[in-house]
Amino acid sequence: MPNNLPEIIEQVKLSLGAFVPEISLSALFLLVITLDMVLNEKRVVIPMVSLVGFVITGFFTWQQLDMPNQEYFLRMHVVDPFAVFFKFLFLGAGALAVLITMDSEELGEKNVANIGEYYAVLIAMVLGMFLMASASDMLMMFLALELVSISSYILTGYLKHQIKSSEASLKYIIYGAVSSGLMVYGMSLIYGLTGQTNIYEIAKFISANEVDEVTLTLAALLVMGGFGYKIGAVPFHFWSPDVYEGAPTPVTAFLSVGSKAAGFAMLIRFFKVAIPAEPTGELAFDWVNFFALIALVSMLLGNFAAIWQSNVKRMLAYSSIAHAGYLLLGVLVADDLGTQAVMFYLAAYTVMTVGAFYVVILIANKIGSDDVNDYRGLGKRMPLTAAALTVFLVSLTGLPPTVGFIGKYMIFTALLGKGTVFLTLAIIGVLTSAVSLYYYFKIPLNMYLRESEDGAETPMESSAFANALAAFLMILTIGFGLFFTPLANFAKNSVIMLVMN
Amino acid sequence: MPEIGLNHFLVLSAILFSLGLFGIMTRRNAVVVLMGVELILNAANLNLVAFSKFNGTMSGVMFSMFGIILAAAEAAVALAIVLNIYARFKTVDIGEIDTMRE
Amino acid sequence: MGQEISEFGKVFLFLAVGVIFVVLGFVTSRLIRPHRPYTEKLTTYECGEEPKGSAWVQFNIRFYVVALIFIIFDVEVLFLYPWATIFKQVGGYALAVALVFLGVLTLGLIYEWKKGYINWVVPTPNIPKMPTKKFEKPKSLEKPKVAEPETTA
Repeated sequence: MPNNLPEIIEQVKLSLGAFVPEISLSALFLLVITLDMVLNEKRVVIPMVSLVGFVITGFFTWQQLDMPNQEYFLRMHVVDPFAVFFKFLFLGAGALAVLITMDSEELGEKNVANIGEYYAVLIAMVLGMFLMASASDMLMMFLALELVSISSYILTGYLKHQIKSSEASLKYIIYGAVSSGLMVYGMSLIYGLTGQTNIYEIAKFISANEVDEVTLTLAALLVMGGFGYKIGAVPFHFWSPDVYEGAPTPVTAFLSVGSKAAGFAMLIRFFKVAIPAEPTGELAFDWVNFFALIALVSMLLGNFAAIWQSNVKRMLAYSSIAHAGYLLLGVLVADDLGTQAVMFYLAAYTVMTVGAFYVVILIANKIGSDDVNDYRGLGKRMPLTAAALTVFLVSLTGLPPTVGFIGKYMIFTALLGKGTVFLTLAIIGVLTSAVSLYYYFKIPLNMYLRESEDGAETPMESSAFANALAAFLMILTIGFGLFFTPLANFAKNSVIMLVMN
Repeated sequence: MPEIGLNHFLVLSAILFSLGLFGIMTRRNAVVVLMGVELILNAANLNLVAFSKFNGTMSGVMFSMFGIILAAAEAAVALAIVLNIYARFKTVDIGEIDTMRE
Repeated sequence: MGQEISEFGKVFLFLAVGVIFVVLGFVTSRLIRPHRPYTEKLTTYECGEEPKGSAWVQFNIRFYVVALIFIIFDVEVLFLYPWATIFKQVGGYALAVALVFLGVLTLGLIYEWKKGYINWVVPTPNIPKMPTKKFEKPKSLEKPKVAEPETTA
């Protein structure tokens, strides 16, 4: 690490070369802001510009595939295959969010006069996620997490004239602010214990010196609070049902996939790198058991609470809590197999969850409701949309031949052969998946087997574009379920995280 | 009596942290809850600066600077949201703002 | 004797002297002052303006926006101080970096301006009546009107 000023400046200049995707996103953000000022017609131009910008950023990210694993910006930022995988995931989720926003009546001309800012904030959120995936310093982790959080508060409350959206944003910001406050306090304690903010240096210090175990446990728990709120796991999940229900549905979709994936990226990097297993096989802070507990409670609470929900968005919120539990199972294995499974499952989860929320948007556009009882008779009235929703729900349950099945299969197999505790967790995971079958299939049951109350049978299909997008996501869900090897291999090759010695 | 050392700062920051947490847990007014959050953030900042002073690295001071800035940014967004809530609900009592639970 | 007073001792002394000073002042004045009350003494000031209405006025919402913009530029200075300490040594590159930083902020300000968020809207005066009883809010305050004028340019 350089000490004198000219060397520092030189390193910062060199680091800019590894920062091109982020710079490109920042430029896109500024461009969208400017366009929003000068254009009169924004509803088509700005989303198109955003999509083009995402594609360009994707190109720059693709170039990073060949770059050496290295830390940049005075050890703040790291470029490695692990980060690049997540960057692609965020770009995909962001592009899908832009596409489904264009088709949402909720954010349409009637309700929102000013849509330009929406896309700008969305881009800022993607930028924050990029930084979250490659942060290697607690300071960058905090900054990136706050960038994502603040953007998501704004997006959640974007329908400011609606009571639900306002309430959701208030709840989100209160829970979010408290948990990020706790996280910073925890980080300050870790800094005090080790004198370092870089996670690799922290790891080095912890393995070389005796660290007060109680303080480290307390600090790590506080930090876990901040991460746990981002991924929506159980003790920190209180915001998610209300926020998922109240936020505009495209935002809900993006939050449930993007925020969660970014949270997992940061969580995996932090706990795998900063608090590694010591040579004796012991952890300085036993996070595996804590994660096991959190995962267990998340799976149980998420799945059982979802049974009683009649609002589809709220039901999907509880199901996303349960999915956080499944994903944590993959994290706590703490080997490459588990991490690979988590990465594959996050990609799968992105496709199927965005798909499910997109169909919910399409249905809400027509019938103006998110209530499962209003979905009666839709199987006849919107055949393609209903079929797509059924596929996504099958995938969320984890049944073949969908990508969700492969993802769950990978996670549960990663748990096998590692002792009885992990085996028990895997069995509980399978059993709770069976519970989820019950509430997910309430929706197809209503759509196909029950008649709507007014007996309306007039077909109301959506636009050709909407059908094409829904069909595309449906094909992806089934296609990756049948031909999962490329995606699985990509995840396998991307497990490599920068390791210091 | 001892000179003022690291522990005094830590105790003060722990007190600030506890006060903030207490305020968050007991108060129903959204603005007061946000003030509690602000206390927690400042407790962390105090910790960081104190550690930085006593172990000789500058990264803690940098961290606390960014902490201050983010606290301001978060407070700005939070107050905008609270204002909007007041316009919709005519109250900022978080116990009363609860329309979605079934 | 001969022991140095520690830092805490000084603080404690300071506190103690302060408390004693105030208490002593109040107690002596209570003991020696004459007791002759009349109504004039109960008004806010014996000289100056009579208060019109209560102090429970709602401030215009625009003050909030001004405060917000102030915070942004206030916080910006926090970043510029460390920058200024090394500016001379680094030179042109530092200037470029700072210009990018300030440029982004300026774009934000232009955005607010263009969207009309910093247009000053003259408020409709909403002066509540003086409360008749102590500790009773006037009726007009219980359901305050929220002046939320839409300002689309």
